[in-house]
Amino acid sequence: MSSSTSVDDLVSQPYKYGFVTDIETDKIDKGLSEDVVRLISSKNHEPQFLLDFRLRAYEQWLRMEEPDWASIGYPAIDYQDIIYYAAPRQQEKKASLDEVDPKLLETFDKLGIPLSEQKRLSNVAVDAVFDSVSIATTYREKLAEHGVIFCSISEAVKDHPELIERYLGTVVPCNDNFFAALNSAVFSDGSFVFIPKGVECPMELSTYFRINSGDTGQFERTLIVAEEGASVSYLEGCTAPMFDTNQLHAAVVELVALDDATIKYSTVQNWYAGDENGVGGIYNFVTKRGQCRGDRSHISWTQVETGSAITWKYPSCVLQGAHSVGEFYSVALTNNCQQADTGTKMVHVGPNTRSTIVSKGISAGRSSNSYRGLVQIGPKAQGARNYSQCDSMLIGDQAGANTYPYIRSQQPEANVEHEASTCRISADQLFYLQSRGIGFEEAVSMMVSGFCRDVFNQLPMEFAAEADKLLALKLEGSVG
Amino acid sequence: MVASIPSTGAVAATTWVTSFLQQLPAPSGEMEAVQWRGREALSRQPLPSRRQEDWRFTDLAPLTALAPAFEQTTSPLPSSWPEPAADVLRLRLDAPGDPLTGQSLPAGLSLLSSEEVQQALGHTLATCNCEQHWPVELNQATATRVLALRVSGAVATTLELVSEATGDGVLRPVRVLLLLEEKASLDVLQVQLGAGASLSSLVLEAHLGRESQLRHGLLALGEGPACLLAHLAVEQEPRSRLESVWASHGWALSRFEPRVVQVDGEATTNLKALQLADGQQLVDTHSRVEFRGPEGQLDQLHKAIADDRGRSVFNGAVKVPRAAQRTKAAQLSRNLLLSSQARIDTKPELEIVADDVRCAHGATVSRLQTDELFYLQSRGLSAAVAAGLLKRGFCEEVLRTLPGAAVAWSPLQRLLGEG
Repeated sequence: MSSSTSVDDLVSQPYKYGFVTDIETDKIDKGLSEDVVRLISSKNHEPQFLLDFRLRAYEQWLRMEEPDWASIGYPAIDYQDIIYYAAPRQQEKKASLDEVDPKLLETFDKLGIPLSEQKRLSNVAVDAVFDSVSIATTYREKLAEHGVIFCSISEAVKDHPELIERYLGTVVPCNDNFFAALNSAVFSDGSFVFIPKGVECPMELSTYFRINSGDTGQFERTLIVAEEGASVSYLEGCTAPMFDTNQLHAAVVELVALDDATIKYSTVQNWYAGDENGVGGIYNFVTKRGQCRGDRSHISWTQVETGSAITWKYPSCVLQGAHSVGEFYSVALTNNCQQADTGTKMVHVGPNTRSTIVSKGISAGRSSNSYRGLVQIGPKAQGARNYSQCDSMLIGDQAGANTYPYIRSQQPEANVEHEASTCRISADQLFYLQSRGIGFEEAVSMMVSGFCRDVFNQLPMEFAAEADKLLALKLEGSVG
Repeated sequence: MVASIPSTGAVAATTWVTSFLQQLPAPSGEMEAVQWRGREALSRQPLPSRRQEDWRFTDLAPLTALAPAFEQTTSPLPSSWPEPAADVLRLRLDAPGDPLTGQSLPAGLSLLSSEEVQQALGHTLATCNCEQHWPVELNQATATRVLALRVSGAVATTLELVSEATGDGVLRPVRVLLLLEEKASLDVLQVQLGAGASLSSLVLEAHLGRESQLRHGLLALGEGPACLLAHLAVEQEPRSRLESVWASHGWALSRFEPRVVQVDGEATTNLKALQLADGQQLVDTHSRVEFRGPEGQLDQLHKAIADDRGRSVFNGAVKVPRAAQRTKAAQLSRNLLLSSQARIDTKPELEIVADDVRCAHGATVSRLQTDELFYLQSRGLSAAVAAGLLKRGFCEEVLRTLPGAAVAWSPLQRLLGEG
């Protein structure tokens, strides 16, 4: 192709979040055993019920096998070669951010997540997680005025043990799958959000995850509970430094929506993806599930997946309450040697439940990108409706796009529709744009952006523009 | 680690296959070597388990519910078979003797010599990567004969291959091999009938030479506890055309596995299927189309109706590797779920590693559309008549594409159980 040389010449933008913060860390020894589980629990001063939960999970995990059904391939992971707890060495969590180690603040500043008072993002409360622990949570007082609890899960265990005991592990049980069991046994930190009855959360909540140590696994746990009539929008972002080893990230996210509650969960995932030859990068094996327990409840997942060497992730909705709604909007972009096997599960249990799935996969380089979804209509889900659309865009002839949508229906009074297509950036579309004076890269980026518009429209405004830019950046140099 | 103890179900399945193999007569005849191989394979891999992704939705219980002692006896000449039309050559594949006795092959059709059979048998299965597949091994272990034909030029006569397994303990393996030479064309209608605790196993291999055309139809009508395992393997050379239409109803368990490989692309494949499941029937289609060269085309329509406590499964794999640029593939799975105890599982599966392709697939599951029912009722039809009309329309789209000879078998009436 005539344009390929010029495109190849374009220097692809390096991963700009790949720096390592040189900070003293408190790490435990490599390896996993019952003692390690107990040690993590004691470091967080956890109550007995949580230790029991961890031990139960660990016991189950020992008996489970790593799943191998996904369209991904990677060398066997040595679970004894991972550090399960690492925390930047600093004293007790500070009352004021001014007392937090400036190096940490600087790190988050560099990542574009200012935590200090004067630079805060307006109207977004941020919980910053560095390796295994939460560093700081902003706007807590303002949120507390509305009765909203937004803190790290380790603090929630201390301050609100009754809520944790009531909800933790109820959506993703500790024996749900191999990686969820591992997480349940060793999770270190993450965010906890509780929106009480009738409260509309006054600002966007956001957690920023940063892996810093090279040999540490990150196992965060997020729990969001929205009581009757409550609503919240939550955004998660993640980055990691560049190492030539692979790091394991096995998170669990649980969402609980009671009657009339709404939870909107957005992710912009930009973990280090490895270099162009597939060396290094994060293994992102995540279990995310929301349960619409109440009638008319609403859970919406929006994800923009651009990073990670391997992504194995299926944010799901269990639609129990009558008239509850589940949504999944996803853009997954893979380049170079990245592998992504991602999709969703919509389990319709209650009557008149509705779900929408919009998935856009973009594969470039030698990457492989699979959509794997399940729509299950149970026998009691009269009047349930699902609409799924999954489109793939292939860039270059070495990238793979796979689609595996499962549909299982046991209810005649339900409608399920699925459609999928595969396309590429066509030469005549490019020519059209170029003939209008638009540069080649920009034209590609415009077309990709248009392809993903349905999903970007679902992102909170501040992040939609960022996601658009991120995608353009990731694709640079891959089109030809 | 403690050695894993097989569950009781697994034990039962193993015993079933073991006793099944024990009661088979010793291998003999032209298929002796193949039979040995098949039996050896079956003794190594007793039964597919639901832990295998391909068999996840297929419960083989109706098969193992049949007594493993089978006989390959002939069913009495049935009275329900319609007279074949003048341009149809009917061959009975369920009789012990040579199906060609007393018949002469029309111009363009000839038997393969035994050397040729030896050379060609299993070749297409291997190309389609299914020669070790369990239902194929079952057929290889049991079939004593193969109908192996060469097709040269356009054959005006429709070949009708009928096989019936009526009565308890009847085992009916059918094996067919077709070699279509360049520019040859043939219409084949297979009719598979089953009743009683019988098992029918069908394997058809076809090699389509350049610019050849095969129009293939399979009408599979079962009753009661009868089970059917049907396998179709087709290898297509450039500019060849395959039209394969399957319609089935009434089997306690039926599994259809069409596998098509376009060896150098540039070929056209049309697959259509209609499967009906009611009572406690399980009907399962696992299709797989692979493009190994550029500019191939696929148009696949799979329709299913699940009523009562019936269960319909569809898994449609389409593979488009890097060599298959400019492939056009479309797959549609349309399902009617008519009862709250019936189940539909459908799973398209697209694997694409070529950027200049157009691939689309769609799936729908619903009951009959209320606005369509309303429209018919507003024209004075009763609800039941309106529903029947819509169901017929749903089926007709597939049935009308069966080879013309199928009309004599009144497929619509038989499938929908209408007088």
